[in-house]
Amino acid sequence: MTVVDARGLVKRYRTGGEILEALKGIDFKLEPGEFVSIMGPSGSGKTTLLNILGLLATPTEGRVELNGHDVTNLGDRKRTRLRKQTIGFVFQHFYLLPTLTAVENVEVPRLFDRDPGRTARARDLLTRVGLGDRLDHRPDQLSGGQKQRVAIARSLINDPTIVLADEPTGSLDRDTGRQILDEFQRIADTEDVAIVAVTHDELVNEYVDRTVHLVDGLVGEEALDA
Amino acid sequence: MLEPLYRRFPALLMASRNLTRTKMRSLLASLGIVIGVLAIASLGMFGVALQYSISQNLGGIGNQVTVSPNPDAGVDNLTERDIREIRRVAGPGVTVSPVKQRIEPVAFERGENTSQLVYGLQQPAEVYNASDGRIPEPFQSGALVGSTIAEEYDIQPGNTITVNGTAVRVRAVLASEDSFSVFSPGSSIVVPANSFDQRGYSQVYVTANSGEEANETAMAIRGALNDREERVNVEELGSIVDQVNQTFQVINTVLIGIASISLLVAGISILNVMLMSTVERREEIGVLRAVGYQKRDVLKVMLAEATLLGIVGGLAGVLLSFLAGLAINQQVVNDATAVFRLGNGFYLAAAFTFGVVVSILSGLYPAWKAASEEPVEALRG
Repeated sequence: MTVVDARGLVKRYRTGGEILEALKGIDFKLEPGEFVSIMGPSGSGKTTLLNILGLLATPTEGRVELNGHDVTNLGDRKRTRLRKQTIGFVFQHFYLLPTLTAVENVEVPRLFDRDPGRTARARDLLTRVGLGDRLDHRPDQLSGGQKQRVAIARSLINDPTIVLADEPTGSLDRDTGRQILDEFQRIADTEDVAIVAVTHDELVNEYVDRTVHLVDGLVGEEALDA
Repeated sequence: MLEPLYRRFPALLMASRNLTRTKMRSLLASLGIVIGVLAIASLGMFGVALQYSISQNLGGIGNQVTVSPNPDAGVDNLTERDIREIRRVAGPGVTVSPVKQRIEPVAFERGENTSQLVYGLQQPAEVYNASDGRIPEPFQSGALVGSTIAEEYDIQPGNTITVNGTAVRVRAVLASEDSFSVFSPGSSIVVPANSFDQRGYSQVYVTANSGEEANETAMAIRGALNDREERVNVEELGSIVDQVNQTFQVINTVLIGIASISLLVAGISILNVMLMSTVERREEIGVLRAVGYQKRDVLKVMLAEATLLGIVGGLAGVLLSFLAGLAINQQVVNDATAVFRLGNGFYLAAAFTFGVVVSILSGLYPAWKAASEEPVEALRG
C-alpha cells in the first residue's frame, strides 16, 4: 500500500505584508521501502514539503493521505500522535539531548510510555547501527557520524513506516556521509521503511531509488514546462 | 538510586539532567528559594519562640485576679464581710488571700531604720514559696523577707529584724518567681496579718486554677460586690496576656509578609532562568515535539524543572531554617530543643510549600511558552 499520497499541495506563508507561495501544487507519492531524495536550491520549498509530509505543518491547499488515511486537516494533538506512531525524523544537526546517554536519547520518543521493553529495544537499535560499544556515551563523547547514527536509531524506535531526513549528511564529511547513507539504504531494504531525504548533497543520489527535483515550489519537470 | 523514580516519572529524568547542564544557574535560581524559605521559616520560628517565652514569663498572671478597694467610691479598705463574700462566690478550688499593707520603719540586724512596705497575710504559703527556711502554717509569728531584701541586707532564716520597734525572727526567705507575678515577693516583708491593728484589708489576691476560672471568678466578684456601686476594682491579668500575644501575632504576620517578598523575588529569578532556558533549548524542544511529544509532555518536563528547583531550594532552606531555629530557641528560651515544638513544624512546612508553589507558578509561563512553540518554527532555528 502506498505510504504517502499527497496531491496538489500548495503552501502559502504570510510574511510581513507579502504572501509567499512556497509550494505551488505538488504531487508526491511514496511506496514502502522506497528511498527518495528531494533536491533543489534554497527556497525551492524542499523543507516545506518535508514538514507537510512529516505532519509538522498543514498545506494551504491539497490533500495528504498517510497509509490510506486522510491526514490533511488533523488537529495538533492527533497529528502529534500519528507523527509519533508512523514517522521518524533525522536532522542535519542531529539534535540529540546533550545531557542524555546514547541509549536514553534513542528512548526519548517513548519516554512517556509505560514500556518495560523500551531500553532493550533502544540498545538493540544502537547495536544494529554499529554503536553497540557506545551505549552509555553522551553526545559530546561521540563523533558526528556516531551522533547521526544515534539519531537514526532514535527515528526507528517507534517502528515508523517513514523516516524523514533533513540534510542528513550536511554536517558530515564524505566518508561518514557514505556510512550514514549505507545505513539508510540498509534500513529501507531490510526494514521496509520508506525514507525521504531532503538534501543538497549529490552523493545521496548514488543511493536513492529516485530523486525529486524541486524548483520554485514545483516538481522539476513541471517547473521546466512552466 | 533514582532509577525507579525516573522510570515512574520520566519527566524528572529529563528535568534533572537539564538542570545539571547549567549547574551554576540552577544553583543560583534555587538559592533564591533557599533564602526566601529561610526568611519565612526562621521569622515564623522566632515568633513562636518569642511567644513561648512570653507565655512562660507571664503565664502565672493569667489565672490571677486582684481585688482592691475603689477610693473613688469612698471605699478605703475591704472588710471581713467583703472577704467572706469573695470566698463565697469564688468557689472551693480558688485560693483567696486577703492582704493588709502598711509602710513601717524596719531595721535589719541592728541597722538604721528604713521605711519598708510591710504586708500582712494569714496564709502566705498560699501565695509564696520559701527558698530558704520554711513558711509556717498557720503564720502566727516571725517574718518572711523577699529574696531581693535578703540579698541586700544579707539576711538568713534565724536572723532578727525590727519591724516598727518590735524584734521578730526571720522564718524564711521567699523564692523569687521565674515568672512575672503581681505578688512579686522580691522586696516584700511579710508579717502575720494579726500583727496589724487596722481592721480592713488593702487588697485580695485571688488565685484560680486556670485563666478561664479566673475570669469567671472575677465576674462573680464584680457581681457580688459591685452590685449597687463600684466598691472594688477587680483586675484580671489574663486579658493582658492575651493582648500581648495578639500584638506579637500581628508583628509576626507583618514580618513574615515582608519575608514573603524575598520568595517572590526568587520566583521572578526562576521565571527568568526558565525563560532563558526555553530560548536556548528551543530546537531541542522542537525535536521533542517532532518525535511525538504532546504539548502537555513538554509542559510536564518544564514544570518538573521548576518543581525540582523549588524542592531542592526548599529542602535546603528548611535544613538551614532548622539550624537557625535551634539557635533562635537557644537564645530566646534557653532551650534549643524547643525547636521541635509543633508551631515550628508548621512554619517549616508552610515555608517549604510556599517555596515549591512559587517555583511551580514561576515555571508555568515559560513552560507554556515552550509547549506552544510550533515545532517547525523552533526547528528552523
